[in-house]
Amino acid sequence: MDPESPLIHTKHVFRAAILLLAVIGSLLLGRSLFVPDTWGEFGWYRGAAVAEHRARPVRHLGDESCAMCHDAEFAEHAAGVHAAVRCELCHGPLVLHANLEDGEKIADMPVRRSRELCELCHRKLDARPASFPQIDVREHLTEQGADLTPDACFDCHDPHSPY
Amino acid sequence: MNRKSDPRSPRPDSFSRREFLRSTSSAAAGALAIVLVLPEGSAEGVEGADYDWSRHRWVYLVDTTACIGCGSCVRACRAENSVPEGMYRTWIERYEIPAEGEALVDTPAGGERGFDPVTSSLNVRKAFFVPKICNHCRATPCTQVCPVGASFSTRDGVVLVDQEHCIGCGYCVQACPYGSRYINPATHTADKCTLCYHRITEGLKTACVEICPVGARRLGDREDPDDPVNEILATRRVQVLQPELLTRPQCYYLGLDMEVR
Repeated sequence: MDPESPLIHTKHVFRAAILLLAVIGSLLLGRSLFVPDTWGEFGWYRGAAVAEHRARPVRHLGDESCAMCHDAEFAEHAAGVHAAVRCELCHGPLVLHANLEDGEKIADMPVRRSRELCELCHRKLDARPASFPQIDVREHLTEQGADLTPDACFDCHDPHSPY
Repeated sequence: MNRKSDPRSPRPDSFSRREFLRSTSSAAAGALAIVLVLPEGSAEGVEGADYDWSRHRWVYLVDTTACIGCGSCVRACRAENSVPEGMYRTWIERYEIPAEGEALVDTPAGGERGFDPVTSSLNVRKAFFVPKICNHCRATPCTQVCPVGASFSTRDGVVLVDQEHCIGCGYCVQACPYGSRYINPATHTADKCTLCYHRITEGLKTACVEICPVGARRLGDREDPDDPVNEILATRRVQVLQPELLTRPQCYYLGLDMEVR
């Protein structure tokens, strides 16, 4: 090219443009490889993660689900002072016991007839609200003339509807 | 004319270096801006056909005067969310505050197996339980420090972790001033309370709220004018944990003592 031509310097621009295109190209390639599909759908995170959290299984299904098979226990429990104590609090999550889709029983529900179960809520602790019913089990059993056996509470109290 | 000998203008009809750099750099910046701009949100806040997250904003209310420290919430949370042994998405702290001296604070196994009576000679005049969960802060440090965008707040106010995207660096675990996060030993990613997102978006309560026998834990929806939790927040004296940190926690407490951090 004529060194006097005003276009003599355009080659710098072309070189820079090619370099820029290469940079943009590699950026786009990198983005398509590393950025997840739903990135930025709702914000600076992977949008699909929200649906994945929603898709996790529900395991505690509530007292009404228990009543589908155990309506007598449900009615007795709902009428007693333990009505606010959910079935699954003592027995554990329902999904371990039954499949509600087909009504099939999966395994026996744990029935923990132990003093420790009652004491979780009713053992006398000074941090508990004073109005909440609490008991020193040893003292109580001595007063009643009963032995301190692992399931002593259940000789007198029905956990579904105590008293 | 010989340009090189012209003393007034070395390159009168060519780009000066300054002009060249200015024009190319602005073009490059423009191109980068086009490449890097985030894709626009496709949905108007609708997440699933049956749930519109723009019409909910979840909050949590703890009544410390009601909690009996039975640990049912901790056990239910573990069962509902497959929380690994030794890790806690929720836990119960016990405060035993003597008339003089240091307060005794303990949380044996997060309160999961209940509490034993305190055997100390302290003259305890004030004692209570404080259930803790993730505060789902509106201005949360945990999502701010995440280097890969794996921690985020949903539009309905829940702080979640993307298990697929998290690299397990643990910055968020350190950033949380409430100790609400842990590294899951099975997945090696950050994990935390999801406010049972799989339940609350289906119209259920969180497992801990569902199982609490004394109503010490409640789930509220700020977008629901009939929600009783909103009535409590509007009329009762509530507090949040460490308000001085300005994290805007969305877990509110009734009956919080100044000893609680």
